[in-house]
Amino acid sequence: MTVTRRQFLVLGAGAGAAAAGLTGCGSRSSLGAADQLSMWTWVGSVNDSLIGEAEKAIPGAAGKQLSMTRIGGDYKTKVLTALAGKSLVPDIMAINDDVATYFPNADQFHDLNELGADKLKGDFLDWKWKLGITPQGKMMAYPMDTGPTALFYRRDIFEKAGVPTEPADVQAAAPDWDGFIQLGKKVKQAVPGSSITDNITSVFDYAIAQLTKRYMTPDGQYIGDGDHIRQAWDLAVRVVKDGLSANAQSGSTDANAVVTNGQLVAYVGAVWWAQLGPKNAAPKTKGQWRVCATPGGAGNRGGSFLAITKYCKDPAAAFAFISWLESSKNQAEAFKDPVLFPSTPASYTDPRLTAPDPFFGGQRIVDVFADSAKKYPGAYFSPYDSIIRDPIAAELVNVEVGGKSSDQAWKDGQIQVKRELTRAGAI
Amino acid sequence: MAVSNAISTSAVSTKETAPDRPPGKYRRALPQYAAVSPFFILFAVFGAFPILFSIWLSFHSWDGIGQMKWVGLEQYSYLLTDPSFWKSITNTLIIWVISTVPMLLLALVIANALHNATRFRSFYRIAYFVPNITSVVAVTMVFGSVFSNNFGLLNAFLQSVGLQKIEWLSAPWGIKVAIASIVLWRWTGYNAIIFLAGLQAISSDVYEAAKMDGASPRQTFWRITVPLLRPVILFTAVTSTIGGLQIFTESQVLFGSSGAIGGPGDGGLTIVSYLYDSAFGKHQFGYGAAIGWALFILIVLFSIINWRLIGGNDDERITKRAARRIDAKVARDRAQDKELTDAH
Repeated sequence: MTVTRRQFLVLGAGAGAAAAGLTGCGSRSSLGAADQLSMWTWVGSVNDSLIGEAEKAIPGAAGKQLSMTRIGGDYKTKVLTALAGKSLVPDIMAINDDVATYFPNADQFHDLNELGADKLKGDFLDWKWKLGITPQGKMMAYPMDTGPTALFYRRDIFEKAGVPTEPADVQAAAPDWDGFIQLGKKVKQAVPGSSITDNITSVFDYAIAQLTKRYMTPDGQYIGDGDHIRQAWDLAVRVVKDGLSANAQSGSTDANAVVTNGQLVAYVGAVWWAQLGPKNAAPKTKGQWRVCATPGGAGNRGGSFLAITKYCKDPAAAFAFISWLESSKNQAEAFKDPVLFPSTPASYTDPRLTAPDPFFGGQRIVDVFADSAKKYPGAYFSPYDSIIRDPIAAELVNVEVGGKSSDQAWKDGQIQVKRELTRAGAI
Repeated sequence: MAVSNAISTSAVSTKETAPDRPPGKYRRALPQYAAVSPFFILFAVFGAFPILFSIWLSFHSWDGIGQMKWVGLEQYSYLLTDPSFWKSITNTLIIWVISTVPMLLLALVIANALHNATRFRSFYRIAYFVPNITSVVAVTMVFGSVFSNNFGLLNAFLQSVGLQKIEWLSAPWGIKVAIASIVLWRWTGYNAIIFLAGLQAISSDVYEAAKMDGASPRQTFWRITVPLLRPVILFTAVTSTIGGLQIFTESQVLFGSSGAIGGPGDGGLTIVSYLYDSAFGKHQFGYGAAIGWALFILIVLFSIINWRLIGGNDDERITKRAARRIDAKVARDRAQDKELTDAH
């Protein structure tokens, strides 16, 4: 077929129009058809069968369907890009445990209390509920799962080392980090090479995860240079100096290897580590692991939220969906499949959670984590927590890997934090 | 359609009212402009706009949502006093030097060997090019387990021959060597193929003449091959510089994107990984844009340096050198003549 000049010009004009259309002319809309509610989440954050049900019809919202997209790769960047474009934003958005970083832009989301969230408050863990509320009192995010912590340990290696092996006894032997370090030393003496953490930052992060205050106060004051942070820092340095860290930095291939080859004999971790750590990296250790209460008190690390964007077509239907999805019955279902720990205490007695776990030698691990979730005191997460935590953690790595002196590293970390906070306009 | 209609009506009207006046210069050219416009429209949307927007962005503080806040040159002044930024530049330059220099030398040697090879030529060419088209992510993961501190192949080998193991992925130098070796592995073959193309463009007459004059292979290489390859060497040096200043994937895959993107002690923090971490890790898009422009200036600077060092004004240099040689030869001949006459 020959293309005449006229046809060619038409083609050119069409391409130009298409290019102009792609730039998006500021139409403020959400994704999906009128009878659909769109939702973005990352892989492994919801139960597939529940979503499948809602994709046919959303319970409690007649004539609406869910259209969910699992975003791979860097989830937050893609979400921010959509929000920056102010169009094709999802109606419902999953948010990770950095929910507070969205607080300065809370005007992009609906106040869930206006949609009736306050009536359901009693169903949820109190501290988890509070994490989704901005300092101005706006309910911005609805609880999904949580990340209660516990002490994981290898029963077989503890037995070999001649230390207590049953969860209650281990808990009694390691009521606090001091006791845990003593226990770790004993195991290391009997089984050379044993470590009680993969690296220095794990100890630091989990020690912070037990505190009632973190890096900033709700009124915006920086307290990351305070004694409570320094104590967690010193603890992490001590574990390394005592030779109890495997020096396998997070994200490296070593981090999995120390689980696989049995070097990591005990670990303070959040509930999701069971899956990410031993179950994936060391399936052969099935039956050898146990869990008991976290030394030094209950903690929480991780857990996510759902928010309804201000672009949402039908906020009432969206709220009906998220409150259905996060009901105690359905959260128990989500524990079964992607192993998300419910934020609704009523789920903890559900048979789907209380079933013995063969990987943990038939232990009812939910009891340990439920106890941790209920006892966790809760703490204020500021919008700047991650930009404060990262330079401090990087300096801790310098201490472990580069042999930097603890005091110098602390000083350098604080200087860097203050620079970052100044630039972010936080102090 | 509208365009062609407009032309025909205007053509008709000019014919009726002013038969002598030709249609306007711009109007006559309109169809041509319309025909080439798709490229320019696409470039404006996907090329020029992002470039201009990133300049605009670098004068703002913005976390991706909400309002952008005008901060003027603050991002740049923070950049100049930011130790991490300077560290990323030093890291990048060190990685660049320890990868590019051996890479280009090795590539030249390989190209020479390929050029002289008589059997399995295509096989060797393909074999050397394969690393370049292998996914850099896969390559880095393999190298990650080779260099891994505690359970890496390299350390296992070192220990098996009785040497100390080296903390490849946590010591600042180890990290740089690991990244440089990935770059080296990936790009040597690519540059060798480009050198080979350059070698094949050199006329065989030159080599035959050299042979007749009794030049050794070494002399031939340094006196004929390398000078005649200069434009190709310049090309590979400039592309390797641009590539080297943009090293990113290697450290990203080796150390992940969580928190410390440059690895322990930021030993593998490159300019682009710092840019990525600032913009997409910490969501400080304005600062990321500022780093991007700093990188642009650096690349321009290094390209100029390369040009001066290796290329320069080619013709002028060659004629100057030729003139020097001729002068030297004339002087030698004269001295010889003088000796001869003196002897007589």
